[in-house]
Amino acid sequence: MSGLRPFALHRPRSVEEASRLLAEHGGDAMVYAGGTELLVLLKAGLARPGCLVDVKAVPSLASIEAGAGALRIGATARHRDVERSPAVRAACPLVADVARHVANVRVRSVGTVGGNLAFADPHSDLATVFLTLDGTVRLEAAGAARDVPLTDFVRGPYETSRRDDELLTEVRLALWPAGTAAAYLKFGVHERPTLGVAVALSPNGAPDRVGAARIAVGCVGPRPTRLPAVEAAARGLDAAELARRAGELGALAAEAVDPVADLHGAADYKRDMTRVFVQRALALAAARLAGRSPIVLHPHTVAV
Amino acid sequence: MQITREVLLPVSADVLWSFLWDVPRVVACLPGCVDAAEVEPQRRYRARMQQRVGPISIDVPLDVEILEADPPRRLVLKASGRDRLVGAEIAMRVTLACAPATAGSMLRIDADGRVLGKLGALGHGVIQRKAEEAVAEFAARAARAVAPA
Amino acid sequence: MSSTHTPSPSRLACTVNGRAVALEVAPHALLLDVLRDRLELKGAKRSCDVQVCGACTVLVDGAPVSACTYLALEADGRDVLTVEGLGAPEALHPLQQAFIAHGALQCGFCTPGMLLTAKALLDEDPAPTPERVAHWLRGSLCRCTGYRKIVDAILAAAS
Repeated sequence: MSGLRPFALHRPRSVEEASRLLAEHGGDAMVYAGGTELLVLLKAGLARPGCLVDVKAVPSLASIEAGAGALRIGATARHRDVERSPAVRAACPLVADVARHVANVRVRSVGTVGGNLAFADPHSDLATVFLTLDGTVRLEAAGAARDVPLTDFVRGPYETSRRDDELLTEVRLALWPAGTAAAYLKFGVHERPTLGVAVALSPNGAPDRVGAARIAVGCVGPRPTRLPAVEAAARGLDAAELARRAGELGALAAEAVDPVADLHGAADYKRDMTRVFVQRALALAAARLAGRSPIVLHPHTVAV
Repeated sequence: MQITREVLLPVSADVLWSFLWDVPRVVACLPGCVDAAEVEPQRRYRARMQQRVGPISIDVPLDVEILEADPPRRLVLKASGRDRLVGAEIAMRVTLACAPATAGSMLRIDADGRVLGKLGALGHGVIQRKAEEAVAEFAARAARAVAPA
Repeated sequence: MSSTHTPSPSRLACTVNGRAVALEVAPHALLLDVLRDRLELKGAKRSCDVQVCGACTVLVDGAPVSACTYLALEADGRDVLTVEGLGAPEALHPLQQAFIAHGALQCGFCTPGMLLTAKALLDEDPAPTPERVAHWLRGSLCRCTGYRKIVDAILAAAS
């Protein structure tokens, strides 16, 4: 498997130039940033582009900015950049901490947020967490830009609604209101997570009563999803009630997911793990909502 | 992968059976299937299967062999092929069964097969889903194709 | 002017272990192959070839990367450090001394990657906690030592 088939490498200096190259070459060109997903695909021979469009030289794409209740992460920002960004840490520490646990330190040094979202591997931490932040991606081509909610952007495994000539330029996250308690649990023994659950509980009235819940499960099905039924069930509960009913809500979550059997496990197994980890994530978030900071130790689990 | 699907069609089993032998019409119902040709009547056919999953495209020349024909009830065929570029090897066995039903006939599709090679390693789940979608689409198109005008 | 008429970049000018290097490389050349086959630096290993094992780890501008999944041209204008640049047999790096003292290697296959990852960590955090060491080593696989001695060696080198 060693070695890549030859390709031409283009380094556009602007989004317009990148988009023009993509339009010109059609399906024969692929966008290249960190290459942590792409080069593995190319090595396996599963794609054979004649050219790569390296977007790292486009200056505007690497920025990370927070303001007006939103966090905007440029497509070529690396996981490492998000992990260490003061802007991210101030605006939404959970995102920085999730970025810190993506893959391994080498992938974090090189891999980009935009690449991760655009590749749409179902086993993605960021896509799962970004759903709880009402993530939107910006797609640009030939001078036109459109913003697509992440739920619509990711259509299935490795499939997004990006057209061949479009460039994903940034992801925009709507920050949670003050007092929100959040948690992200990821579980697995493989390089990619087997399951990821993100929970954000925003208070309403009393600081420990759930006004709005945002809950997303990733890795289990063809794409990450929010769990509206579980969110509705959590609404209005105080932290203690939520902790008591976490098991019941976990069971509700298990019914709502659409697990796909693969090397990470059978569908039934994933469904059951969804139940377990939604329960654990809700318990952790509820404890945080009540002002506690429990240490969470489950096997093969990263608790953020 | 293993897929089973049943679709109720508003035509008699005989009409359905003759539709199944109209290979160009049947192939037109299969999403991604192009360039169907007869090699040996009622025995061997040729076609190409083109599919795309995100950044990955396959183009597999298929060799289709009729294994069993039990008119007007049952047709068993085998389809195999290999995408040279991607190294994906496909081997499928498909049983098509026609049974009379109230208000028409029931077509039952049983597809059993493998995708080997790097593409198979992409994840059984993705391939299973794609195949399920393809069979569902086939059933829908066949229903439209066979329905009386 | 259409960008398709611009030839692909092909010149790699960087420093490797402190020495200037200038090579013509194809765009599709991987850093691991350039290091091993053209610069005769065999310390970085091709193992899993999909960046999950860490045996091919080298440092580029101080950051660990999987050389097996990194285009050589990405190192242009940068400093590359391989295990050969960490220390000399007559003057081992403290990490190398600590690995030997603590029995943190047996077959040695993962060792270059472990050493360089540890160096990147210690350069950033001279006094890491054991948890931080374990976090950084996640994705660097060892079949021999059980990891404990590697972590101990790194903590010893830090102090």
